[in-house]
Amino acid sequence: MSVDRGKLVFVLPGLIVLVAIILFPLLFTIRVSFSGWDVAQPGLDWIGLANYLRLAEDTRFWESFARLAVMAIGSVALEYLLGFGLALLVWRDVRAGRFFRVLFLIPMMTTPVIMAVIWRTVFHESLGPANDLLRLLGIASLPWLSDAALAMTSVIIVEVWQWTPFMFLMLLAGLLSLPREPFLAAAIDGAGPIRTFLRVTFPMIAPISIGAIVIRLIEASKIMDTVYVITSGGPGTATETSSYYIFIRGLRDFQIGYAASLSFTYLVIMAISLTIIAKVLARAMIVKDNAV
Amino acid sequence: MSLVSTELTRRIDGIAHLDGISCALERGRFYVVVGQTLSGKTSLLHALAGLDAPDTGTITLDGADLAAVPVWSRSVSMVYQQFINYPHLTVYENIAFPLRRRRLARAEIERRVRAIAETVGLAQLLARLPGALSGGQQQRVALARSLVKGSDLLLLDEPLVNLDYKLREQLREEFLNIFGAQSRSIVVYTTADPNEALLFDAEVLVMHEGRLLQVGSAQSVYARPATTTVARIFSDPPMNLLPGSLDDSGLRLTDDVRLPRPRHLDSLRPGPYVFGIHPGDITLGASGIATEVELAEISGSETFLHVRHAQMRLVAHLSGVHAHALGENVQIALDGAKLFAFAPEGGLAAAPASGG
Amino acid sequence: MSALYRALKYAAILLWSAFVIAPFLWALTTSFKTANGITSGPTYIPWLQYEPSFEGWRLLFSSGGGGIAIAGPYLSSLVVTISASLISLALGTLAAYGLSRFTYRAGFVRNADITFFFISQRIMPPVVLAIPFFLMLQFLGLLDTEVGLIIVYIALLMPIAVWVMVDFFNTVPRELDESAMLDGCSPFETFWRVILPNSRPGLVVAGLFCLIFGWNDFFFAFTLTFTQTQLLPVAIVALNSSVTPWWSLSAAALVSVAPLVAVAFVLESYLSRGNLAGAVR
Repeated sequence: MSVDRGKLVFVLPGLIVLVAIILFPLLFTIRVSFSGWDVAQPGLDWIGLANYLRLAEDTRFWESFARLAVMAIGSVALEYLLGFGLALLVWRDVRAGRFFRVLFLIPMMTTPVIMAVIWRTVFHESLGPANDLLRLLGIASLPWLSDAALAMTSVIIVEVWQWTPFMFLMLLAGLLSLPREPFLAAAIDGAGPIRTFLRVTFPMIAPISIGAIVIRLIEASKIMDTVYVITSGGPGTATETSSYYIFIRGLRDFQIGYAASLSFTYLVIMAISLTIIAKVLARAMIVKDNAV
Repeated sequence: MSLVSTELTRRIDGIAHLDGISCALERGRFYVVVGQTLSGKTSLLHALAGLDAPDTGTITLDGADLAAVPVWSRSVSMVYQQFINYPHLTVYENIAFPLRRRRLARAEIERRVRAIAETVGLAQLLARLPGALSGGQQQRVALARSLVKGSDLLLLDEPLVNLDYKLREQLREEFLNIFGAQSRSIVVYTTADPNEALLFDAEVLVMHEGRLLQVGSAQSVYARPATTTVARIFSDPPMNLLPGSLDDSGLRLTDDVRLPRPRHLDSLRPGPYVFGIHPGDITLGASGIATEVELAEISGSETFLHVRHAQMRLVAHLSGVHAHALGENVQIALDGAKLFAFAPEGGLAAAPASGG
Repeated sequence: MSALYRALKYAAILLWSAFVIAPFLWALTTSFKTANGITSGPTYIPWLQYEPSFEGWRLLFSSGGGGIAIAGPYLSSLVVTISASLISLALGTLAAYGLSRFTYRAGFVRNADITFFFISQRIMPPVVLAIPFFLMLQFLGLLDTEVGLIIVYIALLMPIAVWVMVDFFNTVPRELDESAMLDGCSPFETFWRVILPNSRPGLVVAGLFCLIFGWNDFFFAFTLTFTQTQLLPVAIVALNSSVTPWWSLSAAALVSVAPLVAVAFVLESYLSRGNLAGAVR
């Protein structure tokens, strides 16, 4: 059709640029994963599947996935609940609503790395306000950064502080764009605030919820800056996520070949997991809707 | 100039939006396409405009195949039912837009825009943005923009359906004046309301499920619908269709309703038929068919009475307000001379004389 | 709404507000401290608990001895972020329009797949791309340059622009495009003269997201630049080594965060006008 002729001019420039920039790294990573490139032997040789066999038995790598799951799912779940709650609190009928909405958006605008630096001083066990606050409340100081579970918690706290605004933004936009009629109908039918939320608000916002959760999961799984600054993967390997482990092997130990195989495996696993999660979420939210 | 379409077909997901449409449209004429929702009216307009390519079939303008001509090089205008204007431009700029694309001189553009604005009644609003206008005014802007370029083909897709009644009447009259006064374009107007087609008194194309069922003047389609489907579509409320039969003793509707055989049906052979009668040809009488009222729709100063006799359901269009209660018994009279007879498969067998 | 409900509601709002502000306030007080105010334990109120000084702020503009010399990195960040965002927005919006309006097919690859390809680029963790990008830029002679970083950032930000704009364009009625084409616009003219002027809400959101994610990148700036080019996050965090002058760190952090706070205002105003959903009436 005549329209078809011009259509390529739209999608090709972006596609070409993106492929040009990404293609080399991607193909390179795959090729390098079959080589034994490290400090001792730099360069592209061929060692077949040796790297992959090694990573299959690398418990530290597989454990990092578990930690990543805890960190990503934990923080995203909290971000979603808090973000939704905040959106519901300030989307209408609030004094100084505008002020609070802007305030709640701010953490997302900040540079994660820089805020992490600040949070590190906050969680400092003797000089930081976190423990000071606890002492004030009569609770003993906590080893925020030197205890495994607490270190994970600290990272999650920082992530939640930083990224709840994203959920807040998405859900607020969604709430503000909802048509009014179903709410009026619910009010006429005598539904109270809780029922209205469960049967009207939540189902209508389901698509946006799913989109926001999937996007946040994609971003959260890459978590790097916070871990690097606050815990450096520690104590020990308590907060070592998959990307941090790849960082250690690749950019610290300089085992580039091995790191490449780790990277590729990671990509495949993440792509599959995220697709599954997206589908499961979609079904869960739609089922809830049908239960109305 | 004539626009000829041949066997246009367009299927989406297995459903035929256009199913073998062939028609010939002449310059200077005003055509009304009548059909219910999903009958293919919009698909037809899109195909004629060149916005969607049909799967099969051709469209030619004075013999030249249009398939190779891209939309933006054609001489077509379209007015939508959703008041489509360019939100970021003033009314003046909206109307001037197509002329600017043609690189006309500024003075010429100014002249044409002001002339059209005058015709359509927008002279005072040229500096406003469409968002600040009422629905009727927005539609006028869309109309002005479509007229200003004097295109060969002017398409209007149910343009009045989102306006209130009075505005519709007013604009309809203006349409008649504007389209009646011009002789260079082919105007195709779609509507789901057959009364609109009758009001325009134009050449009608009846569409249903992607097919063209009948073409003719509005009056002739009304008086002689080719099939029961056309009869139902081209009447609002739809024509009452009653299965029955003709035999030697007369006309029979259901088991117990007998009527004398009307004169104009004399030439028909005995056998089963589907009889039709317009709601307006049913009257209340002291004697006639005993029916029970199912619903009395009072609309202004008219009443649509839904009645029932055994398996037979009828809608009568009565003038005046007849507030009959549900279940009440009324006698209705069917004027035999106004009966249509269709063969059981749907084709018209006989129609009432002159006008029905 | 009962009084109790309102009380709880505002309590919750204030609680979260406190949580949001806390790190900033801490950074603010800390930025005015000197060694004394820190080593004895956490202190909060100037003059009462510690002697305030402008040392932290002064050091922002000098280098050496705990100084940061923030002006250079600030400028670099601005240049790189704005350039990359503009280019990403341009290319991404163009692609998004195509994906929204037209049907593409190459073999079994169709629109949804192409869109997915764009968006899935975000799955790649920086660390995976770092080494190949390093080698690529080294080969091109663009290591430690702003141009090199801009190229890398385009790959990171374009998916964001595509994601936001595809959703946005899908809410603009097709009839607008059709009218433009009937009035004589080619597809590109339609995009340029009609659709784009009416896309400001979407463009603002997409642009702001690009700016935010670009400005706040650390990892790529960290691995791909060293001395000649320094972006703000790297300049500040580089200080986060053993000798950590908390005061200049805090001052620098506050300064680097300030511009995007202005962004928050803009974003919120588009939000409350309901424009984020991108509906065009």
